[in-house]
This record gives sequence, C-alpha cells and structure tokens, in this order.
Amino acid sequence: MTADEFKSFVRSNGVKKAAQEVDVVTTGTFGAMCSSGAYINFGHSEPPIKMQKIWLDGVPAQAGLAAVDGYIGATALDETNNMTHGGAHVIEDLVRGKAVRLRATGYGTDCYPRKEIDTWVSLQTVNQAVLMNVRNAYQNYAAATNSSSKTLYTYMGKLLPELGNATFSSAGAVSPLINDPYYRTIGVGTRIFLGGAQGHVIWEGTQFNPGAPRTPNGVPKRPAGTLAVLGDLKQMNPEFVKGLTFTRYGSSLGIGVGVPIPILDEDMARFCAVTDAEVMTAVFDYSHATRTRPVLKEVSYADLRSGEIEIKGKQVPTSSLSSIYKARKVAEVLKSWILKGEFALQEPVQSFPRDRPLRTLDVRTEREAT
Amino acid sequence: MKTKVVLTFSPEASNQPITHNLIAKHHLLVNILRAEIDEVGGKMVLELSGKADDIRGGIDYLKANRVGVRPIKEGVRRDDEACTHCGMCVSICPTKALTIDPRTGKVSFNEEKCVACGVCIDACPPRAMEILI
Repeated sequence: MTADEFKSFVRSNGVKKAAQEVDVVTTGTFGAMCSSGAYINFGHSEPPIKMQKIWLDGVPAQAGLAAVDGYIGATALDETNNMTHGGAHVIEDLVRGKAVRLRATGYGTDCYPRKEIDTWVSLQTVNQAVLMNVRNAYQNYAAATNSSSKTLYTYMGKLLPELGNATFSSAGAVSPLINDPYYRTIGVGTRIFLGGAQGHVIWEGTQFNPGAPRTPNGVPKRPAGTLAVLGDLKQMNPEFVKGLTFTRYGSSLGIGVGVPIPILDEDMARFCAVTDAEVMTAVFDYSHATRTRPVLKEVSYADLRSGEIEIKGKQVPTSSLSSIYKARKVAEVLKSWILKGEFALQEPVQSFPRDRPLRTLDVRTEREAT
Repeated sequence: MKTKVVLTFSPEASNQPITHNLIAKHHLLVNILRAEIDEVGGKMVLELSGKADDIRGGIDYLKANRVGVRPIKEGVRRDDEACTHCGMCVSICPTKALTIDPRTGKVSFNEEKCVACGVCIDACPPRAMEILI
C-alpha cells in the first residue's frame, strides 16, 4: 500500500488489523534537495589528460579525483548566467538524453600529456554516471516566513514582506523518514526509489540530527534525520529529476525519493499511520539572516496544507515547495514495482546512529579545533 | 458582460485620457487591475464591464487610437510539461488564479483570474511560468 492508502486503512480498520494484513508501505517525497550531485567517469582521451578543472555546459565540476572522474554538484553555478543555470540543470539535461559540452584543462604530465579538451558527452558516451546525494529526504523541515518590509529570495522560495506568505518543504505524513521516525527499517543498504530508478541508502545523510525534539508519537518537530543516497543516473527518469532555480539563491535539484517500509509489527503500523495533523514543524522568520532564526509559531502539516496559517493575528497564505502530487506518484510507482516483483526490499546492513550531535562551524584557533 | 484585456501603448498614446473616454463615451465600468508606464510606453490590465456593444465599441476606439488590445489569456502562460505542481506560486498569487487541489495535489491555473502581474514568474522553481506581455 502507499502511505496515503495505509493511513486511511488504519483509520477504518485500526492498527492491529493493519499490522496483520499489510506487508509494506511505500513512502515518497519530491522536492528541492540541494545537497545532491553526480559523479561521472568520462573515459580517457587520446592523448590522455589529467583533468584539473572541469566544466559541463559552463558549470564547474569538481576535479581532483584521479584523471577523468568528476563530480557535478546541483548548486554549482555557471557564473555567466545570473544564477539561472547550474549543476542541477546539467544533471536533468543528461537524464533527458541530451549531450552536454565538456571542457577540461590539466597541467600535463609524462603520463597525461594533454593540457586541454573541448568536446561533447552524454550518458551514452561516459562510463559511470552515478547520482550520489549526501543529504536528501530530510525528516521534517522548517517552514519559512518573512516579517521584514522587503521581499526575500531564499532557498525556501520567494517570501513576501510583512508576513505576506509562508512556505514549507517537507512532504509531511507521506515523507519516508516521518513514517519510520526511529530508523528501525531504514539504514545503510536500504533499497529505494531514486529519481525514477532503483538506488540505495549509502549512509546517514549529512547534518543527521536524531536528537531533534519529538512529539510523543516519535516524529521530530524540527529537521532531524537525513539520507545519503546513490543510484545509476543512466536509469533515471526526467519526470523525477528536475533542475530548479531559486531566484537570487541559485539552482537546486528536484528529486523524487521513495522508501518502502516493512510493517514488522504493530509499532511500525502505528508509526506509518501518522497523519499531517500529527506532524508538527516550526515557522521560522527568515528575515533574520542567522543560523538561529526566531520561531514564530508551531504548526502542523494539516494547518500548512489548509492554505493559510495564523501568525501574530494575521492570516498568512501558505505554499509548499515540495510537490505532494509527485510525492504520491513516487509512492505509487514504488508500490507497482513491488507488486510486479521488480523491486526487492533490502534489509539494512547497518543501522543509523541514534546519538549524533549536530555541530556548528565557528571561527576558532587551531588549538580550539583539537 | 465582463472582459479582461491587456493594453499596450506607445508614449504618444499614453498622453490621451483613454480610460476616461472608455467610461464617458463608451459607458463602460473600468477596473484598472494593473498599470505601468516607462520610456518606451505603457501597459495596462483592465476589466471592462458593460453591454456587449459598448465593450466592442470601446475596444474599437482603443485600436483606432493605436492601443494594442489583447485578451488576458495571452498574458501569462504555464508550461504544463515543466510544472512540478509544488505550489510555490499559490501563496504569492494576489488574485488566487493559482490554486492547489487538495485531493489531486495538482496546481491549477485559472487564466480568467490572472491579471498578468508577473509575481509568479521568478518564484517558480522549475521556471514553468512565462509572461508574454
């Protein structure tokens, strides 16, 4: 069953029956996930080159991995294009089957004499092209608003002045880690839906913060767990891999992630029965450009999805940044794969840590850092 | 009847009292939804209410005075292929022309309600909205 179907099944039949009758719940999310990117092995040229600097369609990719491996990050920007064209768009173009222009320079060595190359590559011409995202599928996320007198352009979208609107980005009750709040079934090795292909969870995601405050049902009320994921870009579908542009912020990758959750017992059934009304988050004031923004209010995803929330006596219209339409589609596709026997659930080979402090970056001396 | 039109005019035409004439000579109710003027001319979005004949007469008058008249439907276009139905546009649209259906999760665009203000254009992450005027 999809997460939506399971929640209504529990409403009608109760947790006990759901635990007995349902094997797997498919969850999904589709949103802007900035900490994404792809590594690509371009193959060797004749004469060969040890690439020191790489550009794909004008977007700088990371070199420094042997000779012809590169990593293109979703938020890397083509500096000539006013923040409207970035690594995420290059990744989408590749998934669409398009050719992209590869330029690279190197310093030339006895074994790699070539110093520059300017050519075209596509998913057909390269060896490996692997999406490897170090932080996806946040277990809950903040909601954003703006109390200042000017419009703000942020990674949380366009925030109108004087609490003109509020945006949120989690898929809420259908989102993967919301349904397995203590990471009982999701861990290293879990097979997942990634960008329309099958991929894997490869590690805890960066900024993994299991210690975030939780409601009594176990669901975090703030950004908490995250997933590092990996999958074959060559198998992906542009419907679930989308280059996005946030004005005056830059690019990000819209990506569909789905995780199947086995209903091992009544506890798991209870976790997966969670609804938008039971998932809480905080509305932060993004007019404070600091890492500790003030919280204006705690709201549920049912509140956020109702179209407006009340803040300081004002009715504030709300917008989602993640697509619930596509999140449900991810869950549907994953369910159909499982039913057809095309997707086998994989038990984690290692669980996530439950105690991981979230550290900050401060300006410190060498001695303070050790 | 009611209709919404997008007017574009040259600097010469912008010196004429066209809205006054629409009201006084063509007996129309004119609601100015948006107006802007700069060195290359002006742009106005009007809602015209009145008898069908008067609306036709008013539009003929505008055209005779070198004012470009286009239906509002040609103001903003959505690329349905590019739209991911996230809903970012929903909370910033001042006329609620963009709404999300809670059942399907899809964002619908009601062109009749759009006043071509353009606030959605740079807010759309997949860049699905395009302003044509």
